[in-house]
Amino acid sequence: MAARSSRRRAETTPESPPGVEINGEQRDGAPSGEKGMSGADIQIAICGSAGDGTIAAGDILRNAVAEAGYKVISFDVYPPEIRGFGKCISRLRITTDQAYSLKERSDVLLSLDDSHTIPHVGEVRDFGAVICEAKPVGHLAEGEHLSAHILPGQIPYSLPIRELSEKATGGNRSRNIVALGYVAGLCDLPKAPFLRIIESKFKKQGPKVIANNAAGFGAGYEAGCQTFKLDDVHFAPPARALQPGAKVTILNGNHAVARGCLDARLTTFFGYPITPATTIMERLATELPRHGGRLLQTEDEISAIAAVIGAGYAGSRSATSTSGPGLALMGEMLGLGTIAEVPAVVFVSQRGGPSTGMPTKTEQSDLNAALYGSHGDSQRIVIAPTNVEGCYRCAGKAFEMAERYQTPVIVLLDLYLSNRYETVELSASGPPFELDANVHAKRLKPGEVYQRYVLTDDWVSPRAIPGDPGCMHVITGLEHNALGRPNDSEEMHELMSRKRHEKLQGALRHPDFTHVKRFGDAGKVEVGILAWGSTFGECLEAMIMARAEGIRCSAMKVVMLSPLPEAEIRAFLDDCGAVLVPELNYEGQFAQLVQGRLARPVTRLTRVPGGPMPVAAILAEIRRLAGRC
Amino acid sequence: MLMEKPVYVDEKLREVLSSGRLEYRSKALPTWCPGCGYFAIVEGVTAALNDMKIPMDQAVVLSGIGCSSRFPFFVNTYGFHTLHGRVLPVATGTKVANESLMVIAVGGDGDGFAIGGGHLSHAAKRNVDITYLLFDNGVYGLTKGQTSPLSAQGFKTTTSPYENPDQPLNPLMMMLSYGASWVGQAYAGRPDHLKEMIAQAIAHRGFSYLHILSPCVTFDKTNKTYVNLGMIVRDLPPNHDPTHRMVAMAQAEQADAPALGLFYQESRPTLGDNLNSLIAKAGGDASAKPDRRKGE
Ligand SMILES: Cc1ncc(C[n+]2csc(CCOP(=O)(O)OP(=O)(O)O)c2C)c(N)n1
Ligand code: SF4
Repeated sequence: MAARSSRRRAETTPESPPGVEINGEQRDGAPSGEKGMSGADIQIAICGSAGDGTIAAGDILRNAVAEAGYKVISFDVYPPEIRGFGKCISRLRITTDQAYSLKERSDVLLSLDDSHTIPHVGEVRDFGAVICEAKPVGHLAEGEHLSAHILPGQIPYSLPIRELSEKATGGNRSRNIVALGYVAGLCDLPKAPFLRIIESKFKKQGPKVIANNAAGFGAGYEAGCQTFKLDDVHFAPPARALQPGAKVTILNGNHAVARGCLDARLTTFFGYPITPATTIMERLATELPRHGGRLLQTEDEISAIAAVIGAGYAGSRSATSTSGPGLALMGEMLGLGTIAEVPAVVFVSQRGGPSTGMPTKTEQSDLNAALYGSHGDSQRIVIAPTNVEGCYRCAGKAFEMAERYQTPVIVLLDLYLSNRYETVELSASGPPFELDANVHAKRLKPGEVYQRYVLTDDWVSPRAIPGDPGCMHVITGLEHNALGRPNDSEEMHELMSRKRHEKLQGALRHPDFTHVKRFGDAGKVEVGILAWGSTFGECLEAMIMARAEGIRCSAMKVVMLSPLPEAEIRAFLDDCGAVLVPELNYEGQFAQLVQGRLARPVTRLTRVPGGPMPVAAILAEIRRLAGRC
Repeated sequence: MLMEKPVYVDEKLREVLSSGRLEYRSKALPTWCPGCGYFAIVEGVTAALNDMKIPMDQAVVLSGIGCSSRFPFFVNTYGFHTLHGRVLPVATGTKVANESLMVIAVGGDGDGFAIGGGHLSHAAKRNVDITYLLFDNGVYGLTKGQTSPLSAQGFKTTTSPYENPDQPLNPLMMMLSYGASWVGQAYAGRPDHLKEMIAQAIAHRGFSYLHILSPCVTFDKTNKTYVNLGMIVRDLPPNHDPTHRMVAMAQAEQADAPALGLFYQESRPTLGDNLNSLIAKAGGDASAKPDRRKGE
């Protein structure tokens, strides 16, 4: 009990300690270090059966509160089956300043189907609200109604959802919207943004559907406003002022990737569907032709990456997206991209493996495959965003890097990041990406022969592409000399292996990119957390709680995983009494990478729950390492 | 019967020299075994490109892996020597990226019909506007003489030392049924006809498949040799109608007497046309240049 209440305090205590950061900002105009959690912080969970409109209600809610000026992070859980009455949960954490992960405990739980919701009652915090149908149809046996399961300390609200829906709309199809209105009224949220979102969401279905849903929402909202509030569930006035001209949007990781691709002027995309990467391709299938680009669904992932390499060779900005099984098929072609020095961008959204594993669950177990999955010394660039805005930036930056260093770039996401929604502030000053990083060959002098792999100071050779006058050359997967002619002499293979290694080191200084970043206490700390990918949000939350408990603690995210920014990581490790590496795979792939490169001890925290890393597990390890348990 | 005009070496050399086609040969000497049928194909391609006045810097020759796939090194165009079996998807990417390029894909029978077999049907049905030259020697040359899916049944190789238990595929029937919009066959032992066919295949707008019978003098002494092929190849009947797929199929079925010439040709929208019409449907601008350069 004591531990729980102190955690709650840690979540809501306003604090803005001096942050330490390295390599500049990731978010434009954001204050340095982690942001204090002042203002609103409320988590709403909506649980129902497929067909209840659970996810749709969550979608309206997150868009409406974003429009009202709040920050949102949200993650939906779908049933693995396509049909039937599986469980759907939409969880949204709504805050004044952007939060880094969902909370373990929700403040409000809305049930659209009691049988599915009952097992989740325990996730509602003390004095949190549990909302359910007051007048269920038919007879319920004892224990089938949610009210029988509410825990002492939780506050039940019941509402005749069906009746209200029927009264307002003449049918019960708007139950989810009525209930959503109730939550909005109960939490003192402004009504107008909801009505605007409802209007745009149902535009296609015509004015009658819009009117019905608006009426349903209004009925629920009224009921919510009139309810006597015992509880502290309410919102503080929202919203920090936006940067002038900036626009707030709600995006999930995959949509952010698609947006980044378009803003970086992607021209061709080749892909093969696979969960959880498919929505990148689907979004681009709609958007890319609108921008004059071309997208082709290929016969398999081998063909997809092959076409990307073929298009990259011809000078196109080209990409594909896949998950672990597809990445395995792409391995050979990525090796060709490395030796032939062809730009290519591969978005990999990880899921539980190996093989078909847990295709609808998240995991971070394809790091080794991304770093090494090919043959020979196939050096490449691997970057992993830690949040939705990072997905946008990494997507755009991946094209810059692929072209500047002439090599395949893998952007590693996972299901949790691909599918979670966050409010993203897009800058007004246009896309922050270089649209041409091709490093071109100069026009040749008469009689001069173009050398595709000529050695230069930065080991990057000026590139010519088919169609360039007079620069005819052959690129190849055979070891070759500066002209691209096959040459397998000892000296040549040493030299060219070095070239391919050295040119990538430039990526460690790639401009306007956050390679690593440190948050929390500066200087010496008791515990340092070193993390990558989507798990970093949970790490930050745990770090904030640990600091609130008086533990000196900081966290470093590593966005660039290959080449590894060893100097920055080493400097961080120097400051840490103990180092914790939390990640969602069984053997600790990132910990192995860090230990192998830096020969320093680290403590692994590996979990494979199929969902996000529990913040409590990270916090418990921090306490243990700090000697506070 | 008229006597054929004799060919004199010095006259022939002078003719080649003055034709301009040597410009299309690279400075690299082919690495093939003397007598390999592939020499005739490099001659045919360079002569066809020269006759058609295709600018070298607008042409891209891509290949897979194999003896045959060394081809791009010997022509003076843009080239990409890719992976075993993957030339078609790479070439598709190149063509989608830049429609204005003239794209030729080359590879061996193992490259195309074994490891790369999964891509054939898709490249053909998409009608991607490239020319695919398949060099059929019925054996794996580069890896020194193993069985290929086009090897004859009973053929003895290092991996089928007693005999090849499999019957060969019929590549022409496959390509016809996959929907290739141009299907033809040529023989390395008939270089002039070969050149003609290459030129036609290049000129066709859409996916053209040219099957080229080409002896491997080193690893096949019994099957697709010059002597054997010379005895069994025939011309397509003079009245062959290349607009009828079923007629072409009937000719292709006679694998024991390979016919040379154009089996089938149809005109239909290419992959590029179809992608452009998607862009138009979406309200985009298809002429948006893939090239993002700011100029020199
Ligand atoms: C993935 C892969 N598997 C196997 C090989 C080995 N290999 C190279 S060429 C070749 C076969 C070549 O035969 P073919 O395609 O008929 O061409 P040819 O050499 O006869 O011209 C094989 C098996 C390879 N390079 N890559
Ligand atoms: S091994 Fe056969 S196919 Fe290869 S170059 Fe020699 S003759 Fe030609």
